[in-house]
Amino acid sequence: MELKIRKNGFNYIIDVNGEMDLYNSYKLKELVMKMLEKKVQRFIINLENVDYIDSSGIGALIYICSTIKKMNLRLIITNIHGSVKKVIELTKLMGYFPITNSIEEAILQMED
Amino acid sequence: MSDKTYLSEMKEIRVDENSPLFDKTGMLYKEFPSDYRQIRYFTLLIVQSAPLEIKEINLLEQQISEVIKNAVKHGNQCAVDKKVRVWYSFDSTHAHLIVQDQGAGFKDLEKWNEFNKKRLEILSAQDFEKLSDFVSFRTLKSDDNDGGNALFAALEYWNGGFVFNDSRNAVAMLKSFPQKKHAIG
Repeated sequence: MELKIRKNGFNYIIDVNGEMDLYNSYKLKELVMKMLEKKVQRFIINLENVDYIDSSGIGALIYICSTIKKMNLRLIITNIHGSVKKVIELTKLMGYFPITNSIEEAILQMED
Repeated sequence: MSDKTYLSEMKEIRVDENSPLFDKTGMLYKEFPSDYRQIRYFTLLIVQSAPLEIKEINLLEQQISEVIKNAVKHGNQCAVDKKVRVWYSFDSTHAHLIVQDQGAGFKDLEKWNEFNKKRLEILSAQDFEKLSDFVSFRTLKSDDNDGGNALFAALEYWNGGFVFNDSRNAVAMLKSFPQKKHAIG
């Protein structure tokens, strides 16, 4: 799994590339925690290039989402598709995570 | 507005050693050491015998990997001398698995069912604030890498049942795949 950060105005987009599994999902959690220390306030997690997620990956997303919610900061998860979407649906978390279909939509929502 | 579908299809993990899902007749067999680093590799060795007609093979692989992970980590506590035994059979209509470890058994099964029942009630009420406390099942043994959500999805995915034996160190499961409808006439 590879993580890249890019900036769009006040938004920090994290592009996740590869598989979010039991061996590497902690990396995303660690990255977001470091960004929170640096006072980043708006996160967009882009899962366009993620085709596999397991319960550790879902757990990492839950941890990130609940931490950011508690701090009253902003998070949007975007471009969820294929089996990643299926796993989130099976876990019944589609309503729990703030989700958009595209980065553009996520940026627009951040402006609200 | 509440969503009753979560309650109408309330599922739970069962304990029933006499379930037909524990019938191993005609199933293939492999066993593995409890090596955490190789869980996904072991899973691939099993999934490779699944026929190509099965759609969403990634999802099948992920669901099998979760059950093997539970056996390696929670059952056998990653003790490499302890074995995980897997019986499996696949065709275009179904996936059938039995996974057994040498651990003490899933002691928190009733607690898990109780937790899941509350989770489904909260989902039914669409109370997403309260849901935050029910997104992850934790025990005293849980660590940071445990998502605590694998069995929620497992119970949904394995639509033909997800059943433990009496000592709760073996779990049998069945997934029926939707079949293409043939045109009549």
